Order: sequence, then structure tokens, then C-alpha cells
Amino acid sequence: MKIVVCIKQVPSSNEVRLDPVTKTILRDGNQSVINPFDTYALEQAIELKEQLGGEVSVISMGIPATERLLRDAMSRGADRAVLLSDRAFAGADTLATSYALSLGIRQLGDFDLILCGRMAIDGDTAQIGPELAEHLAIPHLTNVEKIIDITQQEMTVRRNIDGQRQLLQVKLPALLTIAKDINQPRMPSISGVEFGEVAPFQSLNAAALQADVSRCGLNGSPTQVVRTSVPLRDNACAFFEGSLAEQVQALAAQIKEELK
Amino acid sequence: MNSLIKPLNEQYSEYLRDESRTVGMADSISFPVNEAEIIRILAELYQSETPLTLQGARTGLAAAAVPFQGHVMNLSRMNKVIGCRRDETGRIYFTVQPGVVLSEFKKMIDKKQFATQGWDAASLQAYDAFTKASRQFFAPDPTEDSATIGGMTACNASGARTFLYGPIRNHISAIRMVLIDGRIVALRRGEVFAQGRQLSLPLQNKDTLELNLPTYRMPQTKSASGYYIEDNMDAIDLMIGSDGTLGVITAIELVLMEHPKVIWGVSCFFDHEDVAVQFTMQLRSQVQHLAAMEAFDADALELLRQQKRQSSAFARLPDVPESYHYCIYTELHCEDAAEALLQLQQIGAVLQQCGGSKEHTWVARTEADLTKLQFFRHAVPESANMLIDRRKQNYPMITKLGTDMSVPDEKLTEVVALYRKGLRENQLQSAVWGHIGNNHLHVNILPRNEEDYQKGKALYQDWAAQVCRMGGAVAAEHGVGKLKTKMLLTMYGPQHIAEMAALKKVFDPKNLLGNGNLFVTEGGK
Repeated sequence: MKIVVCIKQVPSSNEVRLDPVTKTILRDGNQSVINPFDTYALEQAIELKEQLGGEVSVISMGIPATERLLRDAMSRGADRAVLLSDRAFAGADTLATSYALSLGIRQLGDFDLILCGRMAIDGDTAQIGPELAEHLAIPHLTNVEKIIDITQQEMTVRRNIDGQRQLLQVKLPALLTIAKDINQPRMPSISGVEFGEVAPFQSLNAAALQADVSRCGLNGSPTQVVRTSVPLRDNACAFFEGSLAEQVQALAAQIKEELK
Repeated sequence: MNSLIKPLNEQYSEYLRDESRTVGMADSISFPVNEAEIIRILAELYQSETPLTLQGARTGLAAAAVPFQGHVMNLSRMNKVIGCRRDETGRIYFTVQPGVVLSEFKKMIDKKQFATQGWDAASLQAYDAFTKASRQFFAPDPTEDSATIGGMTACNASGARTFLYGPIRNHISAIRMVLIDGRIVALRRGEVFAQGRQLSLPLQNKDTLELNLPTYRMPQTKSASGYYIEDNMDAIDLMIGSDGTLGVITAIELVLMEHPKVIWGVSCFFDHEDVAVQFTMQLRSQVQHLAAMEAFDADALELLRQQKRQSSAFARLPDVPESYHYCIYTELHCEDAAEALLQLQQIGAVLQQCGGSKEHTWVARTEADLTKLQFFRHAVPESANMLIDRRKQNYPMITKLGTDMSVPDEKLTEVVALYRKGLRENQLQSAVWGHIGNNHLHVNILPRNEEDYQKGKALYQDWAAQVCRMGGAVAAEHGVGKLKTKMLLTMYGPQHIAEMAALKKVFDPKNLLGNGNLFVTEGGK
């Protein structure tokens, strides 16, 4: 079975910095991680490969530093990686991103299954999976929490839909977005890390993908980010110690102080 | 009664015990918030000759903070960071009160967010430099990060990363201490030294304490056993690890370092303990930049599997295959990823030399994976404590018997064999984990009933004698407290214990402070 996993580089959750001028998220590569939701998709792909044989490819669109994360994915069990990287892709919304990803996946050759995380923790749109499936003209199912059965031709899965469960069968090739906690993402082994360092890695630009640049990056994005801001968190926590009476007195004093 | 001194009634009963599960007794308690209050309280206690016991967060495992009589002085409300300093090399220092909690301090360093109200201009200037400096790091990392810095100083606490960075002693540059009579000692590292074993200790009021330092030789291994004594020693080292017996520490200056650029955790799994021990010894000589080397035996791994099956709180523990019987966790701290990769490959090579497999490893290179491995490591002692708590319902007097002994490098194989033989012959259940890189394994005897408990206690005492024979220490990181005084006596003998008691008497002539810690003196005090 040939499986493709889409991976996004996101800022590590406690380290979001914005460009003071453009108000876009700074992606310098050093503080970035694989989107945590994508780690479940990757693990699922590796488990399916172990069960059925085949190959797992990982793909991402991003800055060159994303190579580090794709090599990390290969250290955990993916076989090869493709990075779509070009200034022409910069500023892409989900439509332009899914367009580029669809071209990259076509370049990879035949596939049976595409797995994505449920959403990315920075954008929170959950749109890439469904849009990518539409570009590739294949069926898709979102928020899959269990793979019940799978053959080379079709699979049965369980979805979580607002607290309800839905069993669905889908013909392959298809795209699934994978729910959090469907599995426990593995850590790489030393052999895995060594493989990840030397494993096949390909970087493709817009020309190599024969992309229509009017559909890429900012040009191809109907969504324009006007402004992004980090929510102010100025909450503080105070501990009151001592006997119960003392704690209550201290709390009352604090409340009086705050009300002033 | 001084208004700072309160009767120790029912509402303060929690202050009669610590994490060792020892319960003591006391008549009164105080929670001073500054040095002036400490001096006032001490004056009254000194006048009335009331013994007192010092406390921090009571996370200790040797009962040093458990009072047996008199007064409890709890320092947890002295929890402010009171200053910052930057030396000519750019190194950053923070001065903290003893009640500052380790996890809070680490958080402040990471977020570069300290409450600076009341700091002097020099501190604020140094703090400004700190906020602009590269990411900083405070290395000591005991598993219990709710410990206070004062408590850690009192027992010279360590942790996994002691393997590279040493105990908290190595990260303390100055100490301020109030003696029982209210006089003050302020020591900065590198300023006051003993002449051989004679130390003239200057006090702030220009008095001098003339001290005959004990004549023993400390073991050449990780140790928190009794007073730190060496020829020509720095006076500050006498205060660190003194188990609350010499004075009340009111301020501690801590040294920060640059945060390691790259931290990778590597768990290697083995079929047999012997192979893991062999691997440890080879790794020490063949791999660089190792910050930690931690062991988990088959019983510890099985405890984790059970815990994961039984409790949803442990569901996110990584699955440990049944075929894995021993784990060695190592941590690499490197300047860059290329260096870390080189050392990782070297770990792989040593693993193969020892008959292990590079496949049977977990490598954590991301925050998420490092957090998983940290959870894994911390879940082991927690699981053992939960098991014992369940058993205590039927046998209230039993406790976990956790050893804290270290031996020199060349004795690692011998001490592991000693532990296994004792456990086997006594048919005791156990789980072994700890700092194998420092030959410092915590053998945790898990008594199933009172008979096991008694057998375990006798076995522990016997092991202590054997460890001393090997040139080891009976307390490597938890301190001696009240629970290991007999073992310290075994380690140093009555003459040296008497020398320690004589030294303490110069600081505390009425013998009021921390009675029962380190040694039991005449009159049972």
C-alpha cells in the first residue's frame, strides 16, 4: 500500500512570535515542530505499512528548514520525503497550499491513501485535507478515530462527529484526516535516526511542479490575513498559605486590594 | 508567646511529617517571611532553650524536616527572589530566599520573568542583562521539583543531571545564614578557606568561630553523608549539606549557566541487567556530553506496565514491550545537532558491542518526546509509592524502603550483585531505578507485609555496611536526616561522629538546632 502523509511545520505551541510589521507568524525553523495532529497521521501510516507492507511518503510545503522535520518523520518510519519550497508559495492560504500539495503528490506517483492531521494548531482551519482531496478528485473522510478494516481496495473507518460515532466505508484511493489520540506516536530508534539522516529527500520548486503560479502563494489565495495578534495573557496566580483562617483573610485582603 | 510563634495544634498537623512518611511531634510552629523575623523567633527559642527543626516544602525522604520536639520553623513563606548579579564574564546569578520552590525558579528562568520589586539598582541592571542574554539554565534537577532551594541546599540535593553538572553545591556561590544566637555568617565562594582542618569562620559582627574540622576522609563518590569536610576547604561547603544543624539559611546565591543548545534523551532497552551494567561502564568512557545515565530494572518496567493498565492517568505512557527487561536512559547535552548525532551514533556502537540492539531504543529529540520520557521516568517512583499506599491500608506500619547509596565506579558490578543476592535470599519484592552513571541506584524494597518490612530494614542496614566497605556513601543525595544516622555511624565510626557533634556545638552550644539529624548526641538530642 502506498501511503502519503501531509505534514505541516508549526511553531512550538509556547513559542509563537509574530513579525512586528507584517503580523504574520515568524517561521525561522529553529523553534518549529511537526504539527502535533500530523504526528497521529504519520503513526497511523506507519502502522498500516507494518500491517500491509508498502511505502510511506511524507510531504510538506514550507521553508527549506522544514527538511529537518521531514527527516524526523523518516526517522520514525517514513520511507521518503518531498518538500515543496519556493518563494512563489509564500503567503499561501489553504486553497493555494492544497493546490501545491496536490501537484507534489501527483509527482510522487500512484498512491492508495493520503493521511492528514485533523487540523494544524496554528491555522486551525481543518480545510487542507478536504481541499486536497477535491484537487485530486478522490473521496475524503474527516476526523477518523479508528480504522476498523482495510484492504487494498477499500476501508471501513469510524468517525467522531460531535460526540456521535459514524461507521463509513470508502473506496481507495481516498484521503482521511486523523483524530487526535487515535494512536500513540512512536519515538524514533537510533537506527531510525541514522536512516532519517541519509534517507531519500527531494525538494521541489514551483517550476519543477509545473505549477500555475497564479494559483500559488499570495497570488492564489482568496483569503488575506489582515492582522494576527497573540492573545494577551496577564493572569497571575497567588498562593495563600497558613491555617484556613489565615488563608481566607489573605484572600479577602487580596480581593479588597484588587477592587480598589 | 512571641506572636510569630503559634501553638502547633491540629490545623498544623501536616507540618509534623514529610515525604518519608515519618510523623513527629512539636509544640509550636512559625512561618517567618524575612530574616528579621527569624532573628526574633530564634531569640525567644534560644532564651527558653527550645529545640527547633527547620522545614522547607517537606519533600525530603530522610525525615530531616520532621520535628521530634519543640518548635518547627517552616521557611516556605520566605519565597522571594531578592536579587540578581552579573559577573565580568557575563555569568548570571540570582539570590533567593530558602523557600523558593525549584519548579517556580526554573519557570522564572525560562520565561525570563521575575518579580523585581524592591531590588536595588545593581540587581536591576544585572536583571536587564539577563533578559537580553541567551537562554539560561539551572542544572540541579531532583525528581521532586516542588522541593525548595533551601531544602535542596540543606541536603546537597542532586538529580539525574548530576552526572554532568554535579549536585547543587556546584551551583551555589554565596550563602547567608543566621546562627542560633542571632549572629550572621555571610559567605561567598572563594573567599574563606580552612587551613588544613582548621577553619576560622568570620561572622558579620567581626566575631570569629574557631572550628576544628572533623578528621574523616569523604568517600570518592557522590555523597550527601554528613558534613562536607576536606583539607583547605572553602567554608561555604560546610554549610551546604549540613541538614539544618548549623544555622538557618536565609539567602542563597545560585549560579546559572547557558542553556545547552541541544538536549536529546535516549532510552536503551536490554534483555538482562548484566548487559545493561556492562553498557553503562563502557558508555562512561566512550561517549562524551552525557548529562545523565539512569537505570530502570525489570520490576520497575513491570510496575509501569501495570500502572498503565490500571490508571487512565498513566495512559499516555509509552508502551514498553514485554521483551524489554532493563532500561538505561541517557541524556546528551551538546552545542549543536551534529555533535549530538555523533554521540548518538557512538551510543549505538557501544550498544552493539555489548550485544544490544539499536532498534530497541527510543530517541527523544523534540520537546514532545522529551516530555514523554520525563513522564516515563517520573511515573516509576510514583507507581511504587501508589503500590505501597495501597498495601499500607492493610499494614499501616510499612513504608517503601528506598536506598540512596553510591559506590565508586569500579564497584558497580559488585554492588549490583550484592543487591540482587540480598533481595533473592530474602524473597523481597523490589523495583530498582536511579542514577547508575554515578553508581547510585535506588533499590526500593516494596514490603508486602510487616515481616517483609522488618527483613528489608535489616537487609538495608547490612547493605550500608557493605557499601561503606566498598568506599561508598550511605546517603548520596537525600541527606542523612533522622533515618540514616545509624548508617552514618557505620560509615564514619563513633570518633568521627563525635567530631561532627563537637563541630556543631561551636555553632549551636545549647544543641537546639535540627536535633536528631546526622547524629544522635548525648541525652538523646
